[in-house]
Amino acid sequence: MRIESIDQFEALRAQARESEESRTQQIHVCCGTGCLAWGSKEVAEAFASEVAKRSLDASVELFVKSTGCHGFCERGPLVVLQPSGILYTKVKPSHVEEIVEKTLIGGEVITKLLYKDPVSEERIEKYDEIPFYLNQVRVAMRNIGRIDPTDILDAIAHGAYSGLAKALYEMTPDEVIEEVEISGQRGRGGAGFSTARKWRSCKAAPGDRRFVLCNGDEGDPGAFKDRSIMEGDPHSVLEGMIIGAYALGSHEGWIYVRDEYPLAVVNLTIAIREARKYGLLGEDIMGSGFGFDVKISRGGGAFVCGESSALMRSLEGKTGEPRAKYVHSTEKGLFDLPTVLNNVETWAGIGAIIEYGGDVFASMGTQRSKGTKAFSLVGKVKNTGLIELPMGTTLRHIIYTIGGGILNDRPFKAVQTGGPSGGCVPEELLDLPVDYEELTEAGSMMGSGGMIVMDDRTCMVDVSRFFLAFLEEESCGKCTPCREGLKQMLHLYDRIIAGEGSNEDLDLIERLARGMRLGSLCELGKSAPNPVLSTLRYFRSEYESHIADKECPAGVCRDLTAFVIIEDECDGCHACFKACPVDAIAGVVKELHVIDHEVCISCGACLDVCPTDAVRTLPKIVLKNAEVV
Amino acid sequence: MRMIFKVSVERCIACGKCELACAFAHGSEGRPAKTRINIHRRGPEIGTPVVCFQCLDAGCVKVCPTEALVRNADTGAVDMVRDRCISCRMCVAACPFGNMLWDETYHCIQKCDLCGGEPRCVPFCPTGAIAWVPVEEAAIPPQPLNREAFAFEGGA
Amino acid sequence: MPTLTVDGREVTVDADATILDAARAAGVEVPTLCQFDGLEPWGGCRLCVVDMSQANWDDDWFKVVTACNHPAEEGMNVVTDSVRVLETRQIVLDLLLARCPETPLVQKWAREYGVLKTSYTPNPEPDDCILCGLCTRVCDHIGVSAISSINRGWGREIAPPFNEPPPDCIGCLACAEICPTDCISYTNSNTRRTIWGKEFEMLRDPRTGEAVITREQAEHFAERSGIPIAYFEKSDASKRREMAKTFERLGQLK
Repeated sequence: MRIESIDQFEALRAQARESEESRTQQIHVCCGTGCLAWGSKEVAEAFASEVAKRSLDASVELFVKSTGCHGFCERGPLVVLQPSGILYTKVKPSHVEEIVEKTLIGGEVITKLLYKDPVSEERIEKYDEIPFYLNQVRVAMRNIGRIDPTDILDAIAHGAYSGLAKALYEMTPDEVIEEVEISGQRGRGGAGFSTARKWRSCKAAPGDRRFVLCNGDEGDPGAFKDRSIMEGDPHSVLEGMIIGAYALGSHEGWIYVRDEYPLAVVNLTIAIREARKYGLLGEDIMGSGFGFDVKISRGGGAFVCGESSALMRSLEGKTGEPRAKYVHSTEKGLFDLPTVLNNVETWAGIGAIIEYGGDVFASMGTQRSKGTKAFSLVGKVKNTGLIELPMGTTLRHIIYTIGGGILNDRPFKAVQTGGPSGGCVPEELLDLPVDYEELTEAGSMMGSGGMIVMDDRTCMVDVSRFFLAFLEEESCGKCTPCREGLKQMLHLYDRIIAGEGSNEDLDLIERLARGMRLGSLCELGKSAPNPVLSTLRYFRSEYESHIADKECPAGVCRDLTAFVIIEDECDGCHACFKACPVDAIAGVVKELHVIDHEVCISCGACLDVCPTDAVRTLPKIVLKNAEVV
Repeated sequence: MRMIFKVSVERCIACGKCELACAFAHGSEGRPAKTRINIHRRGPEIGTPVVCFQCLDAGCVKVCPTEALVRNADTGAVDMVRDRCISCRMCVAACPFGNMLWDETYHCIQKCDLCGGEPRCVPFCPTGAIAWVPVEEAAIPPQPLNREAFAFEGGA
Repeated sequence: MPTLTVDGREVTVDADATILDAARAAGVEVPTLCQFDGLEPWGGCRLCVVDMSQANWDDDWFKVVTACNHPAEEGMNVVTDSVRVLETRQIVLDLLLARCPETPLVQKWAREYGVLKTSYTPNPEPDDCILCGLCTRVCDHIGVSAISSINRGWGREIAPPFNEPPPDCIGCLACAEICPTDCISYTNSNTRRTIWGKEFEMLRDPRTGEAVITREQAEHFAERSGIPIAYFEKSDASKRREMAKTFERLGQLK
């Protein structure tokens, strides 16, 4: 079983490929966490039992594969049939028999399960014709959705460890670093630091013991790309780390996975076990003489542990707190030894860079941001999910072409990129190409690739508060500006949102933002003001409305917003009555419904469900004045 | 020229002037109890001065967790670095000779540091029982004291 | 031995010196709260921030760093009183004043930076702890680690494990002594000492009944220094007395 030479690897790979090809009809059921939540495990089991039933019939050769995340999480459970490439969405166990009978055996497509394009209103059969997939270029996520992540042979058949074989047998460690340098890959965790430069500075550090770490903490709310990679193709991460370790002369590594990703831990554990079994991890990898092994370390539920120095402290068994940043972890990192820490997506890309060449990677993207990037497109967009695209793609293309536009065709307001450290990009900047520097100049950040789309029913003041509240909870508390500053920012925001803010509060917010930017110890505190500053930059008028007019223009802030039902538009469908959590709406079917303002908590559920747009928002202060009159 | 603090016990008349001088020199406003040189009075006009030996292998230095006790290369004394002292009083407990003092009023440690090289007590000693001499002279036995000659000076 | 400039004054310092060391050598005062000469710098209070430009940077390219832990390097240019540094310090003190509005040390520093009353929402239940970490750091340094910081973010506090009397505490009072705002309380007498809810028996001089340290403290240091516990029991007065008697015996004095 142990591969002890490159010939043995190539033979195994050929054998795995043959095996894969012999499975002529394949059913790929997405079993990423998103689809599992939709119930895809039962779908996979239904397929398995259906296939087992028919295994007696030799003319029918079906193979069910539980794969990792297909990315189109909005439409799960997803099933892709190969070789036809037909994608079925929202598949239930009750559909399984029909799919096998009609499509796999009969060759007929089941229209109701096909994806319906929200723009053209047409049904699309093949997944790679769907705009969501059509425009993607998958490098880090190349195998996710095609392979069973728990089967190393399936991974090898699809190219896993081919890059490693090339590195070990055809390249020197320095040549590996050069290839990564040619690719221009920059860290995909958010900071965007040149991978090759980081590796070089670690290699140059004195000492003969060094570590290779993988940051699988992924704490940004709304980001799940690393989760999908760890769950769906753990071998890509392992391969990247082994190649990196070879380049650096490291023999020990850790994958730090956040505690909230149990499936990722399971699949990584299986992958590590399999890799060791086949001699692709451990001593004398592939018979090359180079040894490297890896362990998994689970986080304890702290966003701050995604910060590189805090992660290392946590790995060492100490409290996850960052330390002074002038100490470079490439020289003194884990246990004060030279360490390279890279993000999951960064590692996942390395195997492909080595196998296909750095120049192929560099041929995509912009001048300073090369290659492809994974994004989690979420929020008020029609097609939400996980995508990978060349850098330089415009935000407009991502949101409208791939994302299919805004949910319910409401007006676009802003897209938040980069998680709690990022900022909001307004409509006038939608043609911005996705690029590290371009996003930073616009007041936002690439971050880990989270993209939260917002419509006109999003209050930008509320959005900033959301991110501040998140960071306030996650701050480690070591340094004054972050610990105290976030708490005080929240107080100021709460005043504004309650209609008790003043212009002095805005000045104070801006001043505090400056203090946190310059004074904080780590990026959590330093970048915490980003959502605040970017919303102030592009949406200052909203803040001013809250302060001067005591009005929330988006109709979100509860203390400032009342809801009314417009008589002419209401058709008495009773949907709002059912949706209201506090029974504030009075009305009978087919008659005008009325909201009791004494009871109403301004949650907006009625507006969300009303089919005729009869529910509108009104500033509470207008209502109060009207009542007085 | 290396100097050393020489104590000639036989010449001590227990007048206590060194104690006063030390207390004044270190801002203790003449509180004789807060002197860093202490006379053990054995009888009328007979005493034994006890002062920090500036030990070469000092117990106080060994025990200090923040390296607040350090050898001064110029004076040869073990100095106390006030900014590093955490008042844990380990040195008070560790000194076998009782020459590390804890001042509750000032809430800090006191020890003889040879006043930085010019011990303030020495000029006040009428009999030369304490002296600041070149190292070579340390081993010279002291002259016997003519106590009668001093009887008038201290007289009522 | 790097040579660098602090507020226009040139100084040369030891190889392992920090910017704070260089500032002191240059006679420039940089305020600190969580810094202590006998302990490793921590960089938590952020009061000691300064503007610094490395030798190989553009002359007008500066970065705000903490002076207490950043190494002083050859050709560095440090400015301790730039507008943004002063503003940052003021904000740090303003924030601390919100947390500890009644603490004299914080009031004093805030006043020096022009903050008489906090601009922010004051702590509804203030205490004097400024979370400088000196107490936990000195306890770690001594090798005891009886207390640590608990909770994350604003709720951070200093406490013994599970908020119970700490089993490892030796009652040396170093934490209370080093605390810049004196917010760690303890009681101390010749017979008993209490701190962090733990009671200690004192080692008492058999002759005078005077006590200096606790038994646990003596044991802790006896192990580490090799000095026998017996040394720790006597008061300094008793020890001097014994020393004097030894001299007398040795000199065969009357």
